[in-house]
Amino acid sequence: MSRFEESAPARGGFSFDLCKRNEMLMQKGLKPSSYLKTGTTIVGLVFQDGVILGADTRATEGPIVADKNCEKIHYMAPNIYCCGAGTAADTEAVTDMVSSQLKLHRFHTGRESRVVTALTLLKSHLFSYQGHVSAALVLGGVDVTGPHLHTIYPHGSTDTLPFATMGSGSLAAMAIFESKYREGLTRDEGVKLVAEAICSGIFNDLGSGSNVDVCVITKGNREYLRNYMLPNPRTYVSEKGYSFSKKTEVLLTKITPLRELVEVIEGGDAMEE
Amino acid sequence: MGDSQYSFSLTTFSPSGKLVQIEHALTAVGSGQTSLGIKASNGVVIATEKKLPSILVDEASVQKIQTLTPNIGVVYSGMGPDSRVLVRKSRKQAEQYYRLYKEQIPVTQLVRETATVMQEFTQSGGVRPFGVSLLVAGYDDKGPQLYQVDPSGSYFSWKASAMGKNVSNAKAFLEKRYTEDTELDDAVHTAILTLKEGFEGQISGKNIEIGMIGSDRIFRVLSPSEVEDYLQEVE
Repeated sequence: MSRFEESAPARGGFSFDLCKRNEMLMQKGLKPSSYLKTGTTIVGLVFQDGVILGADTRATEGPIVADKNCEKIHYMAPNIYCCGAGTAADTEAVTDMVSSQLKLHRFHTGRESRVVTALTLLKSHLFSYQGHVSAALVLGGVDVTGPHLHTIYPHGSTDTLPFATMGSGSLAAMAIFESKYREGLTRDEGVKLVAEAICSGIFNDLGSGSNVDVCVITKGNREYLRNYMLPNPRTYVSEKGYSFSKKTEVLLTKITPLRELVEVIEGGDAMEE
Repeated sequence: MGDSQYSFSLTTFSPSGKLVQIEHALTAVGSGQTSLGIKASNGVVIATEKKLPSILVDEASVQKIQTLTPNIGVVYSGMGPDSRVLVRKSRKQAEQYYRLYKEQIPVTQLVRETATVMQEFTQSGGVRPFGVSLLVAGYDDKGPQLYQVDPSGSYFSWKASAMGKNVSNAKAFLEKRYTEDTELDDAVHTAILTLKEGFEGQISGKNIEIGMIGSDRIFRVLSPSEVEDYLQEVE
C-alpha cells in the first residue's frame, strides 16, 4: 500500500542520500535555499452538526508576504477538508495525493470516504518521510461514523480533538478557543468563534494575515466560505495618482537611424550551382 | 493446418500472419454474455445480460457495468475477472491523468491507455491476453462517445455495437433500428429490444443491467426497478 505513484523515483521511494549531503553543506556554512513557508493560523472545531475549519490567507517567504490571499483549506473528499501549515508545496502536494487516493478508494468500495482513512493515509506518508515533508495539517470531516477533527504533525503523529489550532499563530488562536469553546455550539456561534480565533492569529502573529477562510462541513453538505471576512482591506488609495519627481523626467527620445543599407549590384552572373 | 503448431505461443506469429492466441481470446469473448451499446444524439447507453450461474446467487451483489470516472462507464463481454483488473487499471490511469493535468481525462485518452494495457499483454512474456472486449461509454467536451476495445488492443468508435454470444443477430438488429438523431430514452428502448431478441427465458429488471450517461455528464447504472419501468414502456 505504500508506494502508489509511478511518477516518483522508480524503485525504493525516497532516497535520503541528498539529506546527508545537505546536512554536511549546512555544517560547512551553506544556507539552505528558501522555500515558501506558510507562517499560518489554522483552526478547527467540532460543533453540534459537524465540523468547522478556518484559516488565514497569508503566505510568507521569510520576511516577505509572497501571497496575500492564498487558499489553505484543501479539498480531500466531498465530506472532508484539510487545512495545511508549513511548507506550502508540501501541504498542497500531500493533500492532493491523498485526495486522489481517496477518490480511487471511493470508486473501488462504492462508499463515502471516512476521515480516519484520510488520516491514516496522511500519517503513514508523513512518517515514511521522517518529518522531511514539512506539512502540519488540521483534518476535519463528517462521515457515517459522525464528525471528526484531527491534527497531524510533520513527523506523522496525530491527535483527535474537539478543537485544534496549528501554525505560527496557533497560540493566539488557542487562547480564544480555550476561553470560549464549549460543546454543542450552533453553526453561527461556531463560525463566529472560528473567525475570532483566526483574527486573533492575523492581528497578533506576523506570519499570519490578510483574510479569513472558513469551511463548514455537516452531514451531506459543506460550505466553503472563501474570504469569509476581510479585516485587512486596502484603505488608502491616492486619488491624485502617483507622479514622478522632476529629477526623473524622461528626456526627449532621439532616434538615430542606422546607416542606410546600400545594395551594390554588380553586373555579374547568377551564382552557379 | 500450419497454424495449430503456433497456437500455443502468444508471442509467435503463425505463417498466415495471425497471432492465434488473440484469435482464441476473441473466441472467449464471443462465448461471453451479450452486451451492447448505443450512442444517441444526447447521450450513450450500454447494456448487458446478467445471467447468473444459479438462482442461489445474490444478484444484487453482482454489478457488471462499472464507472471509470464520473463521466465514463464500461461494460464487458467475456471473462469477468479479467475485466475487473482492467477497470482497476483504467480508474488509476484516469486519476493519474487528472493529477498531472488537472483536467478530467477525455474519453479517447482513457480508451487509448486501456487499449495500450491490453496490447502490452499481447507482447510480453509469461502473460496471456485479456479475455474481454470492453464497451466504453462517455460524455465529454466532444459530446457522447462509444468505443469498443478488443483483446488485441485495437479500438474503434461505434455508433452502436454489440459483443458476446448473440453478436451477429444483435448487430443486424441494431443496423436496422439505428438512426443518427435518436434520443437517449429511445436508445434505451432499442437496447432492451436488442437484448430481448436473443434472450433465453423471461427478461426482467434482475437479469439485465443498463448504464447510461446524458448531457448532465454523470454516468449511472440504473437500479432494477428503473430497468423494470423501461421494460414496461417497451411492452
